[in-house]
Amino acid sequence: MSDAADPLVKSPANADGPRVIEAEVYPGAIATRLDHAINWFRESSIWYLLFATACCGIELMQTGGPRTDLDRFGAVFRASPRQSDLLLVAGTITYKMADRVRLLWAQMADPKYVVAMGSCANCGGLFQRSYSVVCGVDKIVPVDLYLPGCPPRPEALNEAILRLQEKMHGERWAAKMKGQA
Amino acid sequence: MTPAEIAARLRTRFGDGAVVAVQDALLDPTLELAPERLHEAARFLRDEDDLRFDFLRSLAGVDRKEALEVVYHLLSLPHRHGVTLRVRTPRDKPSVASVADVWPTAEWHERETFDLFGIDFAGHPDLRRLFLPDDWVGYPLRKDYAPPAEYHGIVTTREGSLPVTRAQVAGRPQVQVAMHGAKAEELPGYMRVNMGPHHPATHGVINFLLETDGEIIRKASPDVGYLHRGIEKLAESNLYIGTMPYTDRVDYLGAIFANHSWALAVEKLLGLAVPPRGEYCRAIASELNRIASHLIATGALAMDVGAFTPFTHWIREREKINDIMERICGARLTYNYLRFGGVARDIKPDVVDTIRLWLDHFEPILREFNRLISDNEIFVRRLADVAPISAADAVGFGLVGPNLRASGVHWDLRRDAPYSIYPELEFDVIVGKGFRGVVGDCYDRYWCRVLEMVESMKILRQACDKLPEGEFWAKPKVVKPAANEFYAAVESARGELGAYVIADGTDKPYRAKFRTGSYTGLSIIQHLSPGLMLADLVALIGSLDVVAPEVDR
Repeated sequence: MSDAADPLVKSPANADGPRVIEAEVYPGAIATRLDHAINWFRESSIWYLLFATACCGIELMQTGGPRTDLDRFGAVFRASPRQSDLLLVAGTITYKMADRVRLLWAQMADPKYVVAMGSCANCGGLFQRSYSVVCGVDKIVPVDLYLPGCPPRPEALNEAILRLQEKMHGERWAAKMKGQA
Repeated sequence: MTPAEIAARLRTRFGDGAVVAVQDALLDPTLELAPERLHEAARFLRDEDDLRFDFLRSLAGVDRKEALEVVYHLLSLPHRHGVTLRVRTPRDKPSVASVADVWPTAEWHERETFDLFGIDFAGHPDLRRLFLPDDWVGYPLRKDYAPPAEYHGIVTTREGSLPVTRAQVAGRPQVQVAMHGAKAEELPGYMRVNMGPHHPATHGVINFLLETDGEIIRKASPDVGYLHRGIEKLAESNLYIGTMPYTDRVDYLGAIFANHSWALAVEKLLGLAVPPRGEYCRAIASELNRIASHLIATGALAMDVGAFTPFTHWIREREKINDIMERICGARLTYNYLRFGGVARDIKPDVVDTIRLWLDHFEPILREFNRLISDNEIFVRRLADVAPISAADAVGFGLVGPNLRASGVHWDLRRDAPYSIYPELEFDVIVGKGFRGVVGDCYDRYWCRVLEMVESMKILRQACDKLPEGEFWAKPKVVKPAANEFYAAVESARGELGAYVIADGTDKPYRAKFRTGSYTGLSIIQHLSPGLMLADLVALIGSLDVVAPEVDR
């Protein structure tokens, strides 16, 4: 079955295709693809590491606050990298901090994602000519999503989380796991 | 004493040649000394009854190309007068006597100057790098410094390397982070804990190296520099106005204050006056920002000691201030609002009405907040009598702002060294009285901030009523101050935020230095922490309202 005809996969032919289908055999049960189910669970509970290094951290706090309320997407902050799915790099990374970022990333369990929030994390931003600032966190850890702004507004961070959910939804974990088993 | 009297007094003691002529009436008298006489002069200045320079405002290194220079800005809190001390030392073997035993706050300032200029301070108790990693090569604020092309495998330019991939990072050898562990035989019976640099209660990326005996701290030494962005070096390669956005990021919780001190210093160098409406716009933005900053300070303190609800209340209120600030200057956090000679945009009448409405809304909310947390038995017990700072310590360690006033010292730049339009406004200076425990404890620092919000609301109401008509920006044709220097300070939410600017006649500053409140606030922790419980350290850090970029700059 090609992707275009598959009701379970989002495709141009089936932009709002049903994500789950009701099974006729057992009322109340749902049938879905394993990939879809795993992705659905994961994208609905993105726990992000509270990694606020600079100004963006304040906007990150405001985003977690009552008005924007990231919790409604299942995204809540964690203080420990061991419990986190997402490394949200909110702010400038200096060379003194760089090794710590690598360590935090290494401490996170797979599957893990990295969002570079703000100009400093993207490319060094205002401080890219400085002697002590890393020109972009992607020189240290792999980045999945770049969020521009100095600092980005809470709405922008909100959008980033939604985009990340989209990205997570396209993962094919079942196929990957089959190869490993 | 007037500057002339101080100059005369210093001439009789140190000889005519040592005292530099005061260039204009605004500047403090300047004393230029040979390095070997510095320590004697420091004691003299601090201990003489009629001088009593007990407060070291700022200590700045300057690279004068042919020699290095250390500049001390001193202040006398009892007599309310100032003096500037200047010492030159040769470039190839720079050494100056340490004054850390005269003013304890100098310990950190000297470490910073050693770190960035490579000046050796003889007699310093613990001279090592403060901001930069221990294996860093060179002294970045020297004029001839060239940054390395690579550090720990990271290319230091924006170009020159592709983003790393997952496989590359995974393939790297295990990260060797210099955790400050000690061998067991070095610390029998004690444990060493790294609290930070990534820790929710340290308010940004600050590391505390703790030596603990169970729950009791034997020693806590802050390890800073994880957010050292080199703003002072960047300022040297920017136009004067180009540094304004950088000042926002010196203190992102109170961006207006750093804007203001930078603008004040450059305006003084230019001899520029600000139209009254511009001054009022500045005051309104400043006081709104002060409330916003104190909201975070008090809310985060409550969160640190275990109460999450007040924090969400304050975030909600802060959003409303952010909305107003957005209408005033177009940004939520990094305002870049001030200009030399005024402000970038006028405050429109409808915004003034919004501010009044918000004040009416906020007053009952503040009462509700106090019912929620300020009088909460558990909260009070977590803070009262914890880590009191005596007035002498507060002055010696150079604490400023609410931290200094909580210890019972009357010093508010808005009243005692007036700038802008603050002399025209009525407000009280809140001083710690031992509201729930002893004077200068964590609760006093917290409560001073809550009461300061009330004072800021008073100021806002007056400023909104008095806001005069007219120009808001007297735009200078060219910003190119003549060779001179000035130290300007404003009362920020975290105390004195000073900008020391040296102009050399070009359109870029020769040297810019920021003196910030969090920096000295953090330096006292090492002195206070022995004997504290681990949980009390969190309360202490929270009550000092430390913000990492202000420490590291």
